[in-house]
Amino acid sequence: MKKRILVVDDEEGLRLLYKEELEDEGWDVELAASGEESLEKLEGDAIDLVLLDIKMPGMDGVEVLRRVKERWKDLPVILCTAYPHYKHEFGTWASDAYVIKSSDLTELKQTIKDILGKRQ
Amino acid sequence: MEYDIIEKVTELSLSGLRLDAKLERAARLLLDAVPFEQCVFYILDPEKNVFEKKAFAGEEITLVESYGGDQGLPGLVKKKKAAIEVYKKDPASTVWEGVDDAGLKGYKSALVCPLRDKERFFGVIYLKSARKAEVSKMKMRALGIMALQASSFIKCADMAESHERIHRELREIEERLASSEKLMALGDMAATLAHEIRNPLISIGGFAGRLKKHLGPGSPGIPYVEQVLKEVGRLEKLMNGVTSFVKDSAVNLRPDDLNGIVEEVLQLFEDEFAAHGIQVKKAFSEVSIGVEVDREQLKIAFDNLIVNAIQSMEHGGVLRLSTSLEGGMAAVSIADSGGGIEPRNLGYIFNPFFTTKTHGTGLGLPITNSIILRHKGTIEVENKPGVGVTFRVILPYLRQFRSAG
Ligand SMILES: Nc1ncnc2c1ncn2[C@@H]1O[C@H](COP(=O)(O)OP(=O)(O)O)[C@@H](O)[C@H]1O
Ligand SMILES: [Mg+2]
Repeated sequence: MKKRILVVDDEEGLRLLYKEELEDEGWDVELAASGEESLEKLEGDAIDLVLLDIKMPGMDGVEVLRRVKERWKDLPVILCTAYPHYKHEFGTWASDAYVIKSSDLTELKQTIKDILGKRQ
Repeated sequence: MEYDIIEKVTELSLSGLRLDAKLERAARLLLDAVPFEQCVFYILDPEKNVFEKKAFAGEEITLVESYGGDQGLPGLVKKKKAAIEVYKKDPASTVWEGVDDAGLKGYKSALVCPLRDKERFFGVIYLKSARKAEVSKMKMRALGIMALQASSFIKCADMAESHERIHRELREIEERLASSEKLMALGDMAATLAHEIRNPLISIGGFAGRLKKHLGPGSPGIPYVEQVLKEVGRLEKLMNGVTSFVKDSAVNLRPDDLNGIVEEVLQLFEDEFAAHGIQVKKAFSEVSIGVEVDREQLKIAFDNLIVNAIQSMEHGGVLRLSTSLEGGMAAVSIADSGGGIEPRNLGYIFNPFFTTKTHGTGLGLPITNSIILRHKGTIEVENKPGVGVTFRVILPYLRQFRSAG
């Protein structure tokens, strides 16, 4: 069965981009436009990985990360953000990986492959 | 006639003349009033402890330019804090009561009065005569008043000078502050803007990438799309730099060891040092240096300085890093041998977007500067054109720090 990725980002354009690119890579992709919506989706669907934007209006990515890890300890989460230096601050203490948002999705795709590949 | 001279000196004190001109006039007035042929004002420089001749009138038989602070009759007057009257029979001798004073040569009498007020000693008035000079009590009193007035000239001139100096220093600090505030405001604005631009930019670049995939190899549209991708990449790199200013990044200060931070940053660059043949020489303070800092931000600051140093020494060189405690401040110095900065560029290197590199962003130094400023520190640049640059970061020292180890 195809693994399913939940993409959480408040930007419509980016959601579409991630969806198409990740589907091209052979993954199933679900979308959520906010932190709140992402938690609802997680309750319903079987998700194998969450791709999470940090900066969102309402519940931000760090808060979503905290709640996800509380309920689904083993669900891998990749944090995405614009700030190169958050990397040091959040590090990998709670998320499984961290990528800096970029139009070049190579690093992101590789990170996803590494994480989901291991769990095959 | 004694009142006459006091009046004239008072008028003089109210004139707008410069200090040496005032003293010179006073010297001439004095020679008119008392039976001496030479009058010299020696002013004491308290830092160097030297009396310098500031003004004189009369003849020039023996005129000493300066005395050590404890030398000759001026030195004696300074010690006794009172006027001395000298009379010696032999004009050729320079010694009077055991005090050797080259200025006595050719004279029989001298009168040396202190210039002082309640708190300070400013110098002396030195009067000389080749004859035996008789000075009446009255004249001595008048002379004392004169000396007091002259002291007040000196004090005023002194105060005016330090007032001016303080004013100038204040203005400099104000200017620096204003420009660093402007810089920070500009940085914050740039960070906000960058954040707004970033997502659409990723969209543009990302979909251009998808378009490229759809066009397929060999399509005539490929070069256009590639150009778009290239430009987006460039802008993204710029955005990465700008967001490092991070609008809402108030510094999160914690006690830390400066040596440890610098060491950690250095380790990140080990491969690069090797790749460029850069020799690293460390001179860290032996004891840990306590600082109260936002470790991650400070690392970014040092990171930028080291990246610049490496970029200036692409074909090898020596990077010297040292940490120390200086005058109650913690200091880090980063010195490269990369040829330095062209003097005409030196004034611009901290401006956002100033760069001399083809792929530079011009944000390294302004970011570093804003981080250091947020830590209430300063950066100093010592540029040796043709040799290299030394950047010195000075931070407040945390005395109570105890290292964990
Ligand atoms: N160590 C150095 N040696 C020589 N020039 C330097 C050094 N550090 C900074 N500069 C000069 O200052 C400019 C600005 O530096 P910076 O703000 O870090 O931006 P960038 O490195 O992207 O050019 C550089 O382009 C360079 O001309
Ligand atoms: Mg730089």
